[in-house]
Amino acid sequence: MANLRIEHLNKRYGATTVLKDINLGIEDGEFVVLVGPSGCGKSTLLRMIAGLDGVSSGDIHIAERCVNTLAPAARGIAMVFQSYALYPHMNVRKNMTFGLKFTGVAPAERERRVAEAARMLRLVDLLDRYPRDLSGGQRQRVAIGRAIVRQPAVFLFDEPLSNLDAALRVSTRVEIANLHRVLKATIVYVTHDQVEAMTLADRIVVMNNGRIEQVGKPLDLYYEPANLFVAGFIGSPAMNFFDAKVETIEGGRARVAGAGFLNLDLPAASLKVGDTLTLGVRPEHLVRGVNGPFAAEGIVELVERLGEASFAYLRRVDGRMFVAEVRGRRTPSRGETVTLVAAAPDVHVFDASGIRVAMPIASWSDGAIVQS
Amino acid sequence: MTAEQRAKSLGVHLVLIAYSLLAVGPILLVVMNSFKVRSAIFGSPLAPPDAATFSLVGYEKVFRSSHILTYYSNSLIVTLVSMALVLLFGAMAAWALTEYRFRGSTALALFLSIGIMVPIRLGSVAILNMMRSAGLNDTLTALILVYVAQGLPMSIFILSEFIQQIPRDLRDAARCDGVPETRIFFEVVAPLLRPAIATVAVFTIVPIWNDLWFPLILTSSDSTHTVTLGVQQFLGQYITDWNSVLAALSMAILPVVMIYVILSRQLIAGLTSGAVK
Amino acid sequence: MAEPVSNITAQMPRAKLAGLLLFFLGPAVVIYTLFSIYPLVATMALSTYTSDPSGARSFVGLANFETLLGDALWSKPFWNALGNNLIFFAVHMCMQNPIGIALAGLLSLPGLRLKGFYRTVMFLPTMLSVVIVGFSWNLILSPLWGVAAGALKAVGLGSLFAPWLGLESSALVTLSLISVWQFVGIPMMLIYAALLNIPEELIDAARVDGLGQFRIFFHIKLPLVLPTISLVSVLTFVANFNAFDLIYSVKGALAGPNFATDILGTFFYRTFFGNQLQLGNPTMGAAVATVMFFIILLGLCLYLFLVQRRIRRYAF
Repeated sequence: MANLRIEHLNKRYGATTVLKDINLGIEDGEFVVLVGPSGCGKSTLLRMIAGLDGVSSGDIHIAERCVNTLAPAARGIAMVFQSYALYPHMNVRKNMTFGLKFTGVAPAERERRVAEAARMLRLVDLLDRYPRDLSGGQRQRVAIGRAIVRQPAVFLFDEPLSNLDAALRVSTRVEIANLHRVLKATIVYVTHDQVEAMTLADRIVVMNNGRIEQVGKPLDLYYEPANLFVAGFIGSPAMNFFDAKVETIEGGRARVAGAGFLNLDLPAASLKVGDTLTLGVRPEHLVRGVNGPFAAEGIVELVERLGEASFAYLRRVDGRMFVAEVRGRRTPSRGETVTLVAAAPDVHVFDASGIRVAMPIASWSDGAIVQS
Repeated sequence: MTAEQRAKSLGVHLVLIAYSLLAVGPILLVVMNSFKVRSAIFGSPLAPPDAATFSLVGYEKVFRSSHILTYYSNSLIVTLVSMALVLLFGAMAAWALTEYRFRGSTALALFLSIGIMVPIRLGSVAILNMMRSAGLNDTLTALILVYVAQGLPMSIFILSEFIQQIPRDLRDAARCDGVPETRIFFEVVAPLLRPAIATVAVFTIVPIWNDLWFPLILTSSDSTHTVTLGVQQFLGQYITDWNSVLAALSMAILPVVMIYVILSRQLIAGLTSGAVK
Repeated sequence: MAEPVSNITAQMPRAKLAGLLLFFLGPAVVIYTLFSIYPLVATMALSTYTSDPSGARSFVGLANFETLLGDALWSKPFWNALGNNLIFFAVHMCMQNPIGIALAGLLSLPGLRLKGFYRTVMFLPTMLSVVIVGFSWNLILSPLWGVAAGALKAVGLGSLFAPWLGLESSALVTLSLISVWQFVGIPMMLIYAALLNIPEELIDAARVDGLGQFRIFFHIKLPLVLPTISLVSVLTFVANFNAFDLIYSVKGALAGPNFATDILGTFFYRTFFGNQLQLGNPTMGAAVATVMFFIILLGLCLYLFLVQRRIRRYAF
């Protein structure tokens, strides 16, 4: 087991830069998930850690050793691929031992490791089967087993669940979490699915456009997104955004106005008159009522009923839409005008460049709505 | 099925049966008559041999007056050795060209593809000179070298397409496992190229077995003739002896047909696999 | 984002990469260069030399080509062979492609039974040696045996029979048709494969739109397999202008009657090796090979610049 340190890492293909100045430290035994939309560079970063793609500039350290020029096998990593990448012409046992042959592991030791991994992953009865005779979930477990027997310092997972059906995805997710608990291994895991990221990670790295947008614990990202991208990416349905402007500052309070919500007073903090802001409120934090520091109004256009909750899509006065989660059996009907409010800590404020503005929560008070 | 559909399907089958007859009729005719006495060959050419007309006189003659078994073994040696080398060297080159990026790789790929379109036959004058000065004239080695050079461009092209279809993850997984590059090729990639063999065979091996040109210019003695050349010369010599001619033709046809019928499923699958577009 | 090839070479030490390339590419490149490219170049070089009876060679520039195209003793057979070769190719284009397309179209009809049987049988002649095929047809069409004459008589067309292979007027076309008969399997199979690659949903969509099988074939399938048809055509072109075996085995090196079936391949062979009428002349042979090379090159260029550019490839 080992830690992992990435410093000023860049990746260029010809003229296009795929990764820009990536800095990231991962502790021994930590489970880190790289998440982001497709094309954000997360898979490239993983392949660079594995040594499958070259480094343009910067350094990758595994266990305090710079591995930039080392071949994949010399880095002490093992990788689990999205397509499983099982050798189709070898049975399960051979798939797991094939790599060990070349790294000087004695035959008896190979057998011992395979037996142990097979027991852990419930593969004992499948050892003599070929990949084509296995189900998707079984193949996935073989792929993980092949990584385990190598006893790597760092496990790399590249979207390992995306080829599984929904039910299997949930159970395999639990299995991977258990595995991490048992092996106490350092894991870097790439996915585009935020549920996987939230449920598995000790820390999540949100990437976009070749950059790291934010690194943090799952709930920190949810409750304190560092910028508009993270705010919009984490959470489903996505956070609602409202354009706003600071009109006046009086007595430590900034009055903010914009389309689709009632004027409200924010703690002045670092705000100046004339600042343009973006206010963000998650659908699940909007409730029907009249009392709250933040109140938005809209006409219901569509209601999606999911059961325990429903999502109401509302059109604001400026023509844009926002979404609110409505719990329970009574849902608003189409055409109805609804006012929704949110509590102070649930209103996220971002400045003109999209960076979070810290709001001293203590200085908020309820009932700060200003009727205009 | 409605009556109209049935009539249509019947029409389609009639056309296909008619063409099938046209395709195998001449071959059947030759093979059938090779087993008959001379009078029956001319008297009732379309009738299959029966007890009265059956005769192997033509085959006896072929065995007696030509080295047909030597020809067979020469053809077999030349074709099998060429095939092994074309597949081995072709797959190795295709692997390097598709997997490794290096300066000049595109130029090298272009250079190697010249031979797909430009027939090596046009270099025959120089090939003959070379083989003469190397002392390889009238040897099977000369034929094998030329056929390997002739088959490589097409086999590299076909095998590259197959190698590209092997998932990249598989090679990456092997690299993460610490498998050396040469072993990745021989133990991971090569076993997965088995379906490509049929395609390569149709486009490079069958032409080798059937070739007349190079045996004609590169071999001069009976001991190095291939079946195609040997039968061609035999036919020229015994042109009026119909029994022998038909027997010699049949002996060239039958092994190919037998192998073809056994392997036809794989061969046709290889042709239609989409690797050659 | 991800690259099509592994970037593994980026981390490899130079010496190791060089070693790997040498190992994997070395054998193929050496054999191919030595026995394919070098002979081609050497042949072209040889075409600018002439040899006297003692065997000594001297450089003559383009004199061989002037002789070949200007001296009636050479130019008459050359243009005759080129003209015959064009006819040989034209017959292939007019017969081989349409028959191949039609058979492939029938074979790819949905729900056709015995598909595998038909395919196997119809591809069989392609697997045989040209020599064997040519000679077998020679026998069948021979008036001595009388099989062809008998077959025509049986359907009431007995008066149409003639010793086609022996007549100056019909020998070349007959040989071309024998070649078509043998090689029609290749366009059939390649087009059949291309037809199978057309997604079934596309055909279903056309059926829902109310098109019959016939229209579906002409308006949907055929345009989609056009790239394959053009590829088959260029393969046929190269093969035709390089053909030799069939004429040689049926008609001999003299390509009779009276050179009526002489094509570039047989002309090249006679020039190079000689025959009853003339002595072999390696340097003139090299000149003929060089001209053949440029004819094939010209055809390939025409294909690349005129045909292939205009043909659209569709991705499904």
